[in-house]
Amino acid sequence: MDNALKTAVMRKSFGKSLLYTLPMILITFMFISGGKPNFSDPASGLAMLMVFLLVNVLYFLMHFTGKTDRLRAILFIIFAMSLSYTLIHNMLEVRKSMSFSEADILECKIPFCHLVIPMMILPAAFTKSIIFPGSIIGGFANISSMVVLWVVATIVLGRGFCSWGCFYGGWDDGFSRFTKRPVIKKISELWKLMPFAVLLMVILTAALTLMPTYCSWICPFKAVTEFEQVTSVESATKAGIFLSLFGGLVVVLPVMTKKRTQCSFLCPLGAINTLSNKITPFTVKIDKNSCSECYKCVDVCPLFALTREDIKSGKVSMFCSKCGKCVDACSKQAIHYGIRGIPAGTMKNFSRNLFLFVSFLFMAVFSAGSIINTFHGLLKLIF
Amino acid sequence: MTDSLILGLSSGSACLATCGMVMFPYLMAGSAGVKRIAIDLSLFLITRLAVYFVLATLSWYFGQALFSNTVVRNIVPGILYIIFAVMLVWYSIGKNRKPDCPAKIVKTVNNHRLVPILLGLVNSLGFCPALFIILTKGATQGTLVQSYIAFLAFFIGSSIWFLPLPLAGRIRKKEVLKNIGILATGLAGIIFMIKGLTNLIGGIING
Repeated sequence: MDNALKTAVMRKSFGKSLLYTLPMILITFMFISGGKPNFSDPASGLAMLMVFLLVNVLYFLMHFTGKTDRLRAILFIIFAMSLSYTLIHNMLEVRKSMSFSEADILECKIPFCHLVIPMMILPAAFTKSIIFPGSIIGGFANISSMVVLWVVATIVLGRGFCSWGCFYGGWDDGFSRFTKRPVIKKISELWKLMPFAVLLMVILTAALTLMPTYCSWICPFKAVTEFEQVTSVESATKAGIFLSLFGGLVVVLPVMTKKRTQCSFLCPLGAINTLSNKITPFTVKIDKNSCSECYKCVDVCPLFALTREDIKSGKVSMFCSKCGKCVDACSKQAIHYGIRGIPAGTMKNFSRNLFLFVSFLFMAVFSAGSIINTFHGLLKLIF
Repeated sequence: MTDSLILGLSSGSACLATCGMVMFPYLMAGSAGVKRIAIDLSLFLITRLAVYFVLATLSWYFGQALFSNTVVRNIVPGILYIIFAVMLVWYSIGKNRKPDCPAKIVKTVNNHRLVPILLGLVNSLGFCPALFIILTKGATQGTLVQSYIAFLAFFIGSSIWFLPLPLAGRIRKKEVLKNIGILATGLAGIIFMIKGLTNLIGGIING
């Protein structure tokens, strides 16, 4: 069965695809418009309409074409860029600068992101306090809502969060698509364990110093969000680290390897999400009977989640983020979305439909706010 | 104190992963009960602590003699931190890493009562980049007590990993844990490299 024929198996007719998209249309309409579309501000109304159309057209195409990864990546990349835009825009408006001051820290005005979660656990358990200087309830990107969202998404999607929910992942996902062929092809498997080492270190250092050390010293995305004001050798060193890690792991290496190197080699939350893959209902399965062992899936996997040994044993490793790249690449439809407990090779369409609905809905709802903000800003800029 | 503890915690995990599996059979050989195991482990840890206190004293005295000038006190340790941190990072990513634990020497000793003490001695004197870093730290402390505290924190951090040693036989995926430990050691190296750089830049600016 060639690739075109395989896609034909997964793709649906126009009417059927529309029918599958209907629940998404209704739910996203409710979330985006709040049930009452308001066009009093034309730019804002138009931005909402654009986002509503964008998410639903992408979801419709997933059913109509039978493809997943590229369509997911469009929204995922827009999400990452728009989140940075929203954060920067918000900070420039409120503080007139991308950097935050000591006063912002003291007043707990720093926007919270899910990468802080692993560092909060031990200090919260021992000192009954949250070590991040952000707002617990209310305000922009508050701690409680972000934690709840991450917990729910991780339980349901496992490491799928890294490809369907993380608002940073789109950066290196985007850069990993820049070239057609990788310049660097061979990377040691050992580096896959680096996020666990980073996780160990940030948990320990955060517990000992009662500081979110990853955010203070390592996070590459500080380069595209907010960072500490450069006032000393220490803060200059920090800024240097943020910029070099962003340049190296988010831009240069993804372009050269066609892999998501920041997610694969650094992100400590990715390590927790990897472990959570053990309990989630959705998986990616290998149908050994259909597999011809061509290893195309191994080559395209952006997170080093598949090895030749995995394919031979018929099991996808727990590093899988369910992005769908391998599923799209398989000409035999041997690798497919599955549900725990259901044998590989059975109920492929049902599993895909269910997974796509849950994961895409999460991404659409989670990303809508910041994408609307970005579109709104761009429209105001143009007109 | 915090950075010494972090250095101990991170290098301790790699130390346990490489040496723990060698030490375990010797510490536990012939031990019938929990009491015997506890005594052996205590002897091993006490020996390490004693050696570290000796090293703390020596490094502090050498530090006082060598780093009397304030500028030198900032610049030389900064350079040493960078060199040893690079060694630590190299150890973690280097392909030709020596996989054996120095404690293997103790294999030749027949007296079981001496084994935990000798293991403690060999383990604490197994000159690795992490120990070089803590020696540099000890040498730059203002008082001898501060040097002791730095070594004590390093000892506590690295010793925590040895406490579950009796359970080592039950741990699955030892190779994965070992690799994570080694990578974490490399990260600790990077922390000290940054510390060295900031020391050095600070020293140059203030000098």
